[in-house]
Amino acid sequence: MNLMVDILINVVIAFLAGSLLLGLHRKVMARVQKRPGPPIVQHLIHSLKFFFKETAIPRTVSKVFYIGIVFILALIWVVGVIVGPVAHDSLLILFGVYAVYKIVEHNSGSSSGSPYGKLSCVRAVLSAASELPLFAAIVFVYLVTGSMNIGEIISYQSVHGPLVFSIPLAALMFFMLIITKSPYSPFAITKDKVLISGFETEHFGFLRGFMLFSESIAWYVMLWVFLTIFFGPLTAVGYLIGMIVISFITGFINAATPLLSPNHSVMTQITIGAICFFGTILMIFTGVVA
Amino acid sequence: MLDYMIYILTFAVGSILGLVYSYKQHGEPFVAVTKFNVPFAIISIIGWVLGFCSGNIILSAIGFLLAGFVMGERPGYGRKETAVGLIIAIIVYFVLKYSV
Repeated sequence: MNLMVDILINVVIAFLAGSLLLGLHRKVMARVQKRPGPPIVQHLIHSLKFFFKETAIPRTVSKVFYIGIVFILALIWVVGVIVGPVAHDSLLILFGVYAVYKIVEHNSGSSSGSPYGKLSCVRAVLSAASELPLFAAIVFVYLVTGSMNIGEIISYQSVHGPLVFSIPLAALMFFMLIITKSPYSPFAITKDKVLISGFETEHFGFLRGFMLFSESIAWYVMLWVFLTIFFGPLTAVGYLIGMIVISFITGFINAATPLLSPNHSVMTQITIGAICFFGTILMIFTGVVA
Repeated sequence: MLDYMIYILTFAVGSILGLVYSYKQHGEPFVAVTKFNVPFAIISIIGWVLGFCSGNIILSAIGFLLAGFVMGERPGYGRKETAVGLIIAIIVYFVLKYSV
């Protein structure tokens, strides 16, 4: 199939699946809290709705940056789709995508000129703590499989079995990132309700539409990468079940935990990351990991 | 991947249509409906069975549209019907898989 068509199909799937999964996540949270919650398709409808809303641009913004940043945000997650589900390329590029995402989060807040956005921008720097466990997890996957290439990691797992059984603590580190990225997460310090909508507060209309579009794709890409590098070669049904299960689990966790303060959030992430990091090293040196 | 895109697209469209339809039928504030809607259960069963077991892109797409229509109803409606449809479809899938 033509590469461009393949990319387009995968981006549409990522957007729709990500939106429905985020809708499910919100529904699970609501049910845990004994509320009926919105319909599962609500997140998708919201995302589409914003594209047709009036777009107002506040006077205080740095206009070029303020508008450009949402396109960069959408673009980096489209790159995530290309590197992951389409090309099965290097994990290092995906790490780069996540790192750029953090920069975009930071700059989106700072370009808005709003105090809420600016505070969220400062917190985006702190929340980079979630990248350290991600990088460590990728390093361990490399140490075990001898490759950063997703295609080769899948081949390795088809011979040796899913990596989650050999390096479970590295999988836990990656799962921490997924929890961090999920909506209403205890670690979502950039979108604390004290900051209204954090770095998204001053983005309206189609600009917010692009942000929601990117969020849906980001959720899909991260779940896809997690399932692919830790749960071996999966069929489409396997991915579907895996993504639904993870959305359920994160929904339960987020519904039952309050948002942590920034310092507690960073310390918790780093502590869990450090325990998993040294635990995995211990497993490698004691020969538990072959 | 084109087939998966069609399935998810039809499911999403079905959900939106179901939501719009059920809000037109039931404008009242939220009520947890205990009544079992037989026609919607039949639509759900046909939808999920076609979606999982037909093996044909067009039939599966129609199936997911119907399944999405019932599942996408406003909160409080279509839950039991969806559960019944899904369970029957999974049973039919395994029966067909292991009987052939």
